[in-house]
Amino acid sequence: MLHHQPHDSAEKHVTGESVFIDDMPVNRQLLFGKVVYSKHAHAILHRVSISDAMAISGVHCIVTARDIPGENQMGPVIHDELCLAEKEVTFIGQAIALIAAETEEAALEAEKLISIEYKPLPAILTIESAMAANASLAPARKIERGDAESALRLAPHVLKGKLTTGAQEHWYLETQTALAIPGEGREMMIHASSQNPAETQAIVAEVLGIPKNEVEVEVRRMGGAFGGKETQANHVAAWAALLANATRCPVKIHLFRDDDQVMTGKRHRFLSKYEIGFDNKGLILAYKVELNSDAGSSTDLSRAILERAMLHAENAYFLPNVSVTGQAWKTNLPSNTAFRGFGGPQGMAVIENAIDRVARFLKLDAAEIRHLNFYRPGVQNITPYGEKVENNHLFAIYDKLVSTSGYHNRRQEINRFNNDHEFLKKGLALTPVKFGISFTTAFLNQAGALVNIYTDGTVLVNHGGTEMGQGLNTKILQIASAELGISPERVRVNATNTSKVPNASPTAASTGSDLNGMAVKDAIDRIKKRLTDIAMNELFARFTGIVFLKENIVFRENFVYDKAHPACKITFPELCALARLNQVSLSATGFYKTPGVHFDRETGQGKPFYYFAFGMAVSEVMIDTLTGAHRLLRTDIIHDVGDSINQGIDKGQVEGGFIQGVGWCTTEQVKWDKTGNLLNHSPDTYKIPTINDIPKDFRVDFLEGVPNPGTIRRSKAVGEPPFMLGLSVWLAIKDAISAIDDHKTEPDFSLPASGEVILMAAEKLNHHPV
Amino acid sequence: MQDTIRFVFDDRIMEIGFSDSSGFKPTTTLLNYLRSLLSHKGVKEGCAEGDCGACTVVLAEVDEHGKLSYQTVDSCLVFLPMIHGKQLITVENLAFYKEKHRILHPVQEMLMRANGSQCGYCTPGVVMSIFGLFKNHQNPTRETIEDALTGNLCRCTGYQPILEAAQKVCSGNAKDHFSQYEPGVIELLNEITSKFETIKITKGKQLYTKPFTLPEALKLRKDHRLATVINGSTDVALRQTKKKELLTNILDLSGVGELSYCKEEKDAFLIGAGMPLEKVRLFAQDRLPALNNILKVFGSLQIRNMATLGGNVGSASPIGDTLPLLMAYKAKIKVNSLSEERYIMIEDFITGYRKTALKEDELITEISIPKLDENTTICSYKVSTRKDMDISTVSAAFRLEIQHRKVISSVLAFGGMATVPIRAAETEKFLKGKEWSRKTVEEAMIILEKEFAPISDARAEAEFRTTVSKNLLLKFLLETTEPGTTSLP
Repeated sequence: MLHHQPHDSAEKHVTGESVFIDDMPVNRQLLFGKVVYSKHAHAILHRVSISDAMAISGVHCIVTARDIPGENQMGPVIHDELCLAEKEVTFIGQAIALIAAETEEAALEAEKLISIEYKPLPAILTIESAMAANASLAPARKIERGDAESALRLAPHVLKGKLTTGAQEHWYLETQTALAIPGEGREMMIHASSQNPAETQAIVAEVLGIPKNEVEVEVRRMGGAFGGKETQANHVAAWAALLANATRCPVKIHLFRDDDQVMTGKRHRFLSKYEIGFDNKGLILAYKVELNSDAGSSTDLSRAILERAMLHAENAYFLPNVSVTGQAWKTNLPSNTAFRGFGGPQGMAVIENAIDRVARFLKLDAAEIRHLNFYRPGVQNITPYGEKVENNHLFAIYDKLVSTSGYHNRRQEINRFNNDHEFLKKGLALTPVKFGISFTTAFLNQAGALVNIYTDGTVLVNHGGTEMGQGLNTKILQIASAELGISPERVRVNATNTSKVPNASPTAASTGSDLNGMAVKDAIDRIKKRLTDIAMNELFARFTGIVFLKENIVFRENFVYDKAHPACKITFPELCALARLNQVSLSATGFYKTPGVHFDRETGQGKPFYYFAFGMAVSEVMIDTLTGAHRLLRTDIIHDVGDSINQGIDKGQVEGGFIQGVGWCTTEQVKWDKTGNLLNHSPDTYKIPTINDIPKDFRVDFLEGVPNPGTIRRSKAVGEPPFMLGLSVWLAIKDAISAIDDHKTEPDFSLPASGEVILMAAEKLNHHPV
Repeated sequence: MQDTIRFVFDDRIMEIGFSDSSGFKPTTTLLNYLRSLLSHKGVKEGCAEGDCGACTVVLAEVDEHGKLSYQTVDSCLVFLPMIHGKQLITVENLAFYKEKHRILHPVQEMLMRANGSQCGYCTPGVVMSIFGLFKNHQNPTRETIEDALTGNLCRCTGYQPILEAAQKVCSGNAKDHFSQYEPGVIELLNEITSKFETIKITKGKQLYTKPFTLPEALKLRKDHRLATVINGSTDVALRQTKKKELLTNILDLSGVGELSYCKEEKDAFLIGAGMPLEKVRLFAQDRLPALNNILKVFGSLQIRNMATLGGNVGSASPIGDTLPLLMAYKAKIKVNSLSEERYIMIEDFITGYRKTALKEDELITEISIPKLDENTTICSYKVSTRKDMDISTVSAAFRLEIQHRKVISSVLAFGGMATVPIRAAETEKFLKGKEWSRKTVEEAMIILEKEFAPISDARAEAEFRTTVSKNLLLKFLLETTEPGTTSLP
């Protein structure tokens, strides 16, 4: 297999030919769809008057809740999210009315003429106020082992604290977009930028009041998603479908950047409280943590996200006595949603920060304390939820990374630098990630595929996963070409379509290639079995006198042959043509389900993950304690990707995920004003990393020779885990701040470590006598 | 008067009219124009405010040496008349065909091989920025590469492969098919620009004028006193693209070549109001280090290729990056009307929140920066959430004249601390005559702390602004007394 196959759309990307929904040619009837949304965080909707707006020339229709033919509902799991507000609005950005017009100008003019009367109500805008109002989304859940309370009482040292971690805007370059094209009768075709076409189909069917078999959803590619299009892409699709249904014209909604930022959910903010008990060496004896998340106004995926936060509260560490409590709280903000890491980063940030404190308290090196507490093969290898940590690569990665990064020498150099500089300080941190791979909602761990082979020997692969830039289709192409033994040029991966592969799971939880790769292989195996029979007949017919064995038949380099008689071969296209002449099907569906994963939410025990992915990073920063500015000087990463299917793509996931994590940990701030208006609603004030924010020295390496048993081509999921390595930058910044008073004091710290957080913490350490 | 615009596109002269049947307004952005064409949908809208660069295209024009100079711009901020007389190059123009075979441009080939694209949405913009770099620099430093790409946000790759592709592709021979066709393009462009007739477009409620000489510009200014004057439009365009305002009357100075110059005279540096900031930066590099310092972190290259110093001064924004510095330089703003020419000190020029002393018939024509004597030092600072492509939370420019370690005079000018760029008058008064020392500065910081009442907003809390403003004074002291000890790399 070619491990350096470029992205299957790379040439289209660099020439500008790749077609995103907004680029699709549509007929002249195409209407512009506009969403009119609430300007109040919480209010009674008294009256929505559209008559003046309807009079604008070019406006075809305006849809409000009462015009929805089906159910006014678009909640993905729990049905608690209205498609259009009815009597009450519960956040700024909530859709109230939809306009379809011939031009953007007409739609904007109509929007101004829609009059909405609100009666404002008190709004809950923080986790603290939600807790005070007892506005919980669901009862608290627990994962426990041992007796954390007693162990804390008996521990030689205990540190207690609180940590806030911030929200994060996905900032996919392509904002939420959908194109709805009505067919005959009630049929509706949707071109969606969705990670979950099957659910988009379900929600569209629900709001239109038609069965799923009349809705077709297609996803060619997304311009980035990162979790933001797992459920919330359904919304624009449902809105476009309602307008297309009402006008019987094609309708496109392509959210304006600011509207996208205002209307859609973000990474959940968390408010966490912890107590950590440990001995003089830094061995953790007990850990008790309470994770509180801001769910926003409805459930969306908040329960599953909280669950993953709880399942990653211990990260890479064996905790003998542990108590994890999780609770999601309702606020009057857009419903927060999936985002790369899916709660994992929020859970891990707490323990990584706690260990950092332990190290400062004991005046020991934080990396060594991490090492001391890692899960150990053979012993101390059971997670708080009862799953065994198998194929543990933590020690291998740690040893390699400490050496290749020159960790200990650099620690000395940094100490010298800090002694010599009054206002510039350097910091260094090593953080690990252990990330569980599988949907924790066990039934989602399934995938389907449909492989069609044509008589010229070319192959069209359909699978249920979606391409959002992560390179899934490229890996699928490689898998198909390797399994069939044909050149990649002969394989094409089709746009994801609900009519080709039904009922698929979302492309999420880093499982895209694991699940869909296996399903594609299953389909190919079925066809290969049929082709082998044809090949046997043909070989015997062509090469008389030679005995061919069925079990010896191989598909290699565009030929099919008995490996004992490699000279006697049939070309793959020939064989495909023969299959048709012999009335044998060249099409097959494939299916895969992950074996053995289960989790009991009541007891908090089970085996929720098929396996774990491991990685580690060392980052070095410099801060300016007079301005709060920082620079990322160097990052070394070693990551475990099993046997990589595509090293270029996997490296891209590691680097890109890490930098996105760095953004969450540093410059990406989401703030709301006192009435619930999002303050950072455009790239003007919401700052994702630029090319100048990446490490000046950036070294990414894979752990070699660690095939992953039981997965497609022994590979490993890579989408989410590297995100959490961004925490190394966050803690390196804290290390630098704490150097101001020679690491004597625990700095005031939160996430992100914005310039403001850095400066205020530095000021408190009183670096200059003013 | 001309009522159409002409530019070179897809190897020929393209003319756009604005009659009723044409779908275009004079303020139709270049981005929306391109996206209306089936063959140029590679260019993408990511933010419509010049922050993400997904809409980057290259404009080439004939420079003073008679050669083509290639500049990247954010097409979402460019009104159509601004490309008159230029060659427009989009991602679709980079590859070429040889006997039906498409041959990718080296930039495209390299980016593809380096895994420089993931979702592909930012890629056309990234390709165009690297193409601009490729045409302008051979073996660029990492800093130059970063500078060419800070205006291109990518949320997928983490930029490392993009950086590597840019490094590799710019290390070789910069020849491509554009070099080959340059003479022909120059001929076409000269044909367009030989006409100096003012472009005047009226459509619906809009009037858009684009003069090519200063007298004509001043006359138009006099005749259309309510016109919004633009010169780069990187600020004004947002009123349309973000606030959806219809700009009814625009006077576009971008065609007035007389306003585009940098000159060094005996006592001063003279910068034409129409000089794009990137060119100002290159001029400032060896002459005005504090100006270079602030322009390095001013927007992105795409923005600096359009934005002008006159525009930045004229916007009179409380966070206009160059304004505190021009205060420290004691710069003079030259303004002209048809009948008069006068000089206004920068501090008198800015009269309030986005208000200036400019009369309705005047235009800013030049910024004059006096040279410093050897006892005087000027430093500039910008504190922002993100180092690049960010609006300052606090900016500062300090001027210090010392003799025998005593402060003779100072200017402490700040942006982001009030509704206008402002001087810390009390602190300046305190410093006068004092020894320039840590002790003095620490005392001054206490005064400075009380001098302003900044606001809390999306960028930072008031307390942060106050703390930073006084710390910057300390930083200035260290920079003047122990250079090199307080700057981040």
